[in-house]
Amino acid sequence: MSAQLLETSGEYEALIHFLHIAPVGLVQTDANGEIYMINPLSAQLLLPLCQKGILTNLFTALENVAPDLRHLVASFKKPSGMICDTLRIQLSAASGGKSDPPILALSMLKLDDYRLMIVLNDVTQQVKRERLLRQNEAWLNAIVTGATEYALVSLDSEGRINDWNESIRRLTGFERDAVIGQPYSIFYPVDATTPDRVLDRLHEADESGWSLDDGWRTRADGTRFWGSAMIAPLQPPEEDLVATLAGIRLTEPAYCLVIRDITDKREASENVRKATACDHLTGLTNRRTFFETAEVELARWKRSPRPLTLIIFDTDHFKAVNDRYGHPAGDVVLRHMADTLNATFRECDIVARLGGEEFAVLLPSTGMDAALEGANRLLKLIESQVVLVDGVEIRYTVSGGIAEMASDVTGLDALIKRADKSLYAAKNAGRNRVACWT
Amino acid sequence: MLELMPVVFQQTGMHAALEAQDDDELDGLDFGVIGFDADGLVRRYNALESRLGGFSRERILNTHVFDAVAPCFNNYLVAGRFDSAQEESTVLDDTIDYVLTLKMRPVRVRLRLLASPNHALRYVLVQRLA
Repeated sequence: MSAQLLETSGEYEALIHFLHIAPVGLVQTDANGEIYMINPLSAQLLLPLCQKGILTNLFTALENVAPDLRHLVASFKKPSGMICDTLRIQLSAASGGKSDPPILALSMLKLDDYRLMIVLNDVTQQVKRERLLRQNEAWLNAIVTGATEYALVSLDSEGRINDWNESIRRLTGFERDAVIGQPYSIFYPVDATTPDRVLDRLHEADESGWSLDDGWRTRADGTRFWGSAMIAPLQPPEEDLVATLAGIRLTEPAYCLVIRDITDKREASENVRKATACDHLTGLTNRRTFFETAEVELARWKRSPRPLTLIIFDTDHFKAVNDRYGHPAGDVVLRHMADTLNATFRECDIVARLGGEEFAVLLPSTGMDAALEGANRLLKLIESQVVLVDGVEIRYTVSGGIAEMASDVTGLDALIKRADKSLYAAKNAGRNRVACWT
Repeated sequence: MLELMPVVFQQTGMHAALEAQDDDELDGLDFGVIGFDADGLVRRYNALESRLGGFSRERILNTHVFDAVAPCFNNYLVAGRFDSAQEESTVLDDTIDYVLTLKMRPVRVRLRLLASPNHALRYVLVQRLA
């Protein structure tokens, strides 16, 4: 072999090794996700998701955790370009074991009609840091924005309003007598919070210094505005400026609630939220956000147990719908399912698309009986309705499995497993029915 | 002279059989062999593995198996099994189907994972599937 060839083969080996040890996943596929080239880190991240150690198609490998990848590629009409940039994918829930729930970031670049280039990254730690940073940012934001759009409300240890000031009337229209002694949930739409949740937020404020949530708020006349509500625990007045400003004397734990009307910012913040937290096809909470929110709910349960149920729904014979009417019709059915779920469950319930035709609803402060009632209501609605696609009438049914959180459930994964098993029982019993874990 | 039976991928008593082979003999096997110590540093790397992976022995020996040699093994399916065997001081002899990315092409393989409190080296054996 000539000296030049030898050098070339050494360079080739170095180049292969460079790709081999790159701490980022690189994959090249065709338009259908069939893998041409793949580096080891991708295999490390993807193989735990694969059945029987077979990894030939990227979309198939990610089907259960990122069901809308095919949809994303298909709906990208430009001849080339970035299809998605660091899309977050939640792999599984923390099972109380060694590791945090892993979160992947996936970027997909369309090279031409036949080739996709995909970059994968494990961003679990980064997501954790970002979450903290977001809270800090929200806190600062709340402090520096002009004081006129605030309502400053002081709460007792149970979350009841215990003092009156003009800012409450200015923002919400409530009069003194209507608010004193009432829980702060009077500023929330009826089904947007629960008595448990009212206390949860106080505990969370104790633990992390504040509790913040954005969402619809109600005025005395029943109209809604998009508000940001921050609860902070009050220290004895001499130690705490906010308490001093509010003029409160403390004998037991007390809190300060600041509500801001941010209706003008709603569109912008909702767009951001939808892009990161919602499933593209159905607009429901996506898988990653479901796991994130459900973990919070489970932590609340652990601190103070109360009824908490999970329903998993799966549309019956969905493959047959796709085969018979085509994938676009299947998509319409999934969207119809999503709308019916939203119409059936409360604002404080977490309604999510977990993958494919599988949906989850987590119901805070709700026991088995009420969850079953809700699930059956949904089944009746779906069964009685007709979905119209291009003049063709499609009827479908749904099966559901319910599990209730209990002390012998180790974590979210275990709760999901129970609901899944009930779902299989419902399927085996003939579909279009709900089964409960007992 | 006593003729030794050739070592085959699925045979029993594999761990001891590998330990009894010198490097030249490992090179004669028809499956890939990666042997690494308690610190994860690669100590044995046979000719077939070197040819399949496209890396010379010099590049691989004494580097970390999960960092520099086979990053695709660094998950609960492979590294996790070695970790648990280590923690619980148990014998590991599992065979799993897997995908390697030899020269960045996905290749289906069967892996045999070997660890034992009685042997200093752990092994990953690699057999290509058709």
